[in-house]
Amino acid sequence: MNKKVRYRGRFSQIGIYLGKFLRMFVYQSDWTVLPMAALISSLVAYVVGANINKTQEGTLTGCFAMVCVCVWNGFFNSIQSVCRERSIVKREHRSGMHISSYIAAHMIYQTLLCLAQTVILLFVCQQTGVFFPTAGLVTKYYLIDMGISMFLVTFAADMLSLVISSIVHNTTTAMTMMPFMLIFQLVFSGGMFSLDGFARKFSNVTITKWGLNSFCALGNYNNLPMVTLWNNIWKFRSMEIDGQKPIKMMTNYIIKNNQLDELLLESGRYNMNPAYTATAENVLHCWGVLAIMIFVFALLAMIILEFIDNDKR
Amino acid sequence: MLGVGIYTIVTELLVIAGIWKILMKCGEKGWYAIIPGLRYYKLGACNGKERDGLRCLFLEIIVRIMSFFDTEGDIRTPTELVISQLVLVGAILLFIFEIRVIFGVLRTFNMKKKWAFLWELVPWIVTPIIGFSSRFQPVNLGQFKEEGLKGGLTPANLSAPAAHGPSAEGLTVNIKERKVRDFTRKRYLLKDIHLFIPNGSLVLLLGGSGAGKTTLVSAINGYEKANAEILLNGVNVYENYGQMKYRIGFVPQQDLLRMNDTVRKTLSDSALLRLSVQTKEQERNEKIHSVMEILGLTEGADGLISKKSGGQKKRISIGTELISDPDLFILDEPDSGLDGVIARELFEKLRMVADEGKIVIAITHTPDRVIELFDKVIVLAKDSGKVGRLAFYGSPKQARTFFGKKTMEEIVMAVNSEEEGGEGRADEFIEKYAKMTTTKGAADHE
Repeated sequence: MNKKVRYRGRFSQIGIYLGKFLRMFVYQSDWTVLPMAALISSLVAYVVGANINKTQEGTLTGCFAMVCVCVWNGFFNSIQSVCRERSIVKREHRSGMHISSYIAAHMIYQTLLCLAQTVILLFVCQQTGVFFPTAGLVTKYYLIDMGISMFLVTFAADMLSLVISSIVHNTTTAMTMMPFMLIFQLVFSGGMFSLDGFARKFSNVTITKWGLNSFCALGNYNNLPMVTLWNNIWKFRSMEIDGQKPIKMMTNYIIKNNQLDELLLESGRYNMNPAYTATAENVLHCWGVLAIMIFVFALLAMIILEFIDNDKR
Repeated sequence: MLGVGIYTIVTELLVIAGIWKILMKCGEKGWYAIIPGLRYYKLGACNGKERDGLRCLFLEIIVRIMSFFDTEGDIRTPTELVISQLVLVGAILLFIFEIRVIFGVLRTFNMKKKWAFLWELVPWIVTPIIGFSSRFQPVNLGQFKEEGLKGGLTPANLSAPAAHGPSAEGLTVNIKERKVRDFTRKRYLLKDIHLFIPNGSLVLLLGGSGAGKTTLVSAINGYEKANAEILLNGVNVYENYGQMKYRIGFVPQQDLLRMNDTVRKTLSDSALLRLSVQTKEQERNEKIHSVMEILGLTEGADGLISKKSGGQKKRISIGTELISDPDLFILDEPDSGLDGVIARELFEKLRMVADEGKIVIAITHTPDRVIELFDKVIVLAKDSGKVGRLAFYGSPKQARTFFGKKTMEEIVMAVNSEEEGGEGRADEFIEKYAKMTTTKGAADHE
C-alpha cells in the first residue's frame, strides 16, 4: 500500500447518519412518538395536574407522574432503534462506518425528539391548567428550568434505552426488557416508596430520583402546605367522646379563626425533604447528575456496539 | 454424622469412577470426572450436548458459590431469602440440564431414556454400570467427536495442496487453518485451502451445508481472520485491513438494507461512506448513476426499498457494495428467493462486473442454470473429521471431468455425506485433488 486513500472521518459520517435518521423520522413513522407524548401528557395532566405546585402531596404525586411520562417517552424513543437494524449496523461497520459517528448521530437526532417531547409536555400541562410558578431557580423563568429538567430526564432515559437496544439482538427482547427497566426506575426513585439501606443507595443510579428531586425543588415543595394531616383529622369530625365532638369543635375553631392555611403550612414545614430544597445549587446538582448519566450511557452504548463484529452469523 | 460422611464420600467416588470410565469410552480424558461441573460439560461435549454441558458447568459453579451464603432454612433477612430462592432455581435448572446431558450419553450408548431416571436417582450405581460394563459401548459417537482433531484427514495422512506465491494481478488465498475455540475445545472449520484467482474471473463457490463456504468468504474478506495469507493484487488483506475493506465488497445472503429509505439515498449514503474523500460530488453522482444503470435500478430510484420486489432489493444490496468499485466482490447466495429468469439476469450482471477486471465470487445452491457464465469453480467439502477442505478448484469443464459428473449439483451430491443424502466421497476427492496439485506443483517447480 504505497498511497493511503482517505475515507470519510467520524465528523463527516455523523452527517450521513443524521440524514438517515431524519429520513426514518418521516418514512418509518418515527414521528408517532410525538402525538404519543401529547396523549400521555394529557392523560397525566388531567389526572394529577390539579394539585401540582399547590400542595406537597399534589406536587410529589404530580411530579412523579411527570417524571414517569418523561422516562416513558425517552424509553420509547430508542428502545428499538439499534436492535431493529443490528445486522445492518454490523454490515456497515465492516464497510467503514464508525460506531462513534453512529451513536453521535443518534444522540443529535434523539436530542431533537426529546426537545420536541418536552415542549409538547409543557404545552399540554399549561393548556390543561397545571399551576406553574413564574420564577425559576436557575434561570429567571420556571418554564425554562422545568423544560431543562424534563429534557434531561427524557434524554437520560432515551440514552439508557439506547444502551439496552445496543445490548439485545432483536426487538422482542428489547420490548421485554423495557417494562423491567421502567419498574426499576419507578420503584427505586425513592419518591413514592420509602427506601432503606442498600436500596436507598441504589436509588442514586436511577434517572427518576434526580428528575423527581429537580421537579420538586423547582415546584418549591418544601414551602408548600401539607394537607394530609388536615384531611385525616377531617375524617374524624363526627367522632364522639363523652357525648361531645371535640374534633369537630377544633376544626370549626380553626376555620372560624382563619388558621387553616397557617396549619397546613406548619404541617408542611414538618414534612420538608432536604432533597427537594428550592435552591439553584440543588437543581444544578440534579442536572449535573443527569448529564453525567447521559454521557455514561452514550459511552456504554458506543463501547458495546464496538464489539458488533463478534455477533454470530 | 460419621456414617453420612462416609456414605457421601463412597457414593461420590463411585460416581467419579463411573463417569471416568464413560468419558474414556467416549475418547476423553477420564480425570475430568473428578471436577463436578466439568464432568457434565465433558460428557455433554462428547455426546452432542455441549451447550447443555456448559450450562451445567456454570450452574454448578454458581450454585456452589451461593450455597456458601445460603442459611438452609433459617432465613432472617430479605437477602438470605433471595439467596435461598436463587439456590433453589439454580438447582432445578442444573437438574434439567444434567438430564439433557444424560439423554445425550444414553443415546450415544444406545440405551433407553428410562435409564436417565435411575441415573439421577442412584448415580453411584448407574454410572459404574455404564462405565465398567463391556455391554455398554458407544455406538453413535462418530458424529460428536472433536471435530478436526481426531479422525478425518489430518496433515499426517494428507499432503496439503501447494501454497501459491504472491501475484500482483488477482487474489491469492493461502489458508493454513481456520479454527474456533469452544470453551476448552479447539475446532477446525477450514484447513489447507490454497488457490489463486486471476482478475476478471467469475468464480462459483460450491459445497454442501456446513462445508465452510461462508467461513471461507469471511476469511477471504477479513471479517473472520484465519491463520492465512490473503493477497489481493499483491496487497495483504489482513495487514492492511483498514484500507482493504473498502476494496472488498461483500453481499450477504439477507438484504441488509433500511427498508424505509429510498433507493437513491441508500446508494448515495453508501457512496459517501465507501468512496474516498477526494472523490468529487459530480464523480460520485456519476458513479451512483452508473451503478443504477448497470443494475437496472434507475426507474423508481426515489421510491422506498420496502416497496421493491425481491430481485430489486437484492440488486440494491449489490449496488451498495458495487458503488465503491471493489476489486474483489463476494456474494453469499445472491439468487436465494429469486426465480430462474431474475436469477439469470443477476448473474449476467455479475458477469459484466467480472468482465471489467474484477474478481467476483458467488455462492449459489442452483449453479447449473448459469454455469456457463462462470470461469472457475471452487468445491469445498467436509472431510470425515468435519473440517472444510478444498476438493477442487478449476474450470467447470475440468470439474465435471475430475468428479466424473455432468452437473454441478451432482458434484455437490458426490461430496456430501451420506446422512445428507449424498455419496459421502468427500475424503476421496479431497485426497485426489491434494495429490493432483502436489504433483503439478512439483512438476512446475522442476
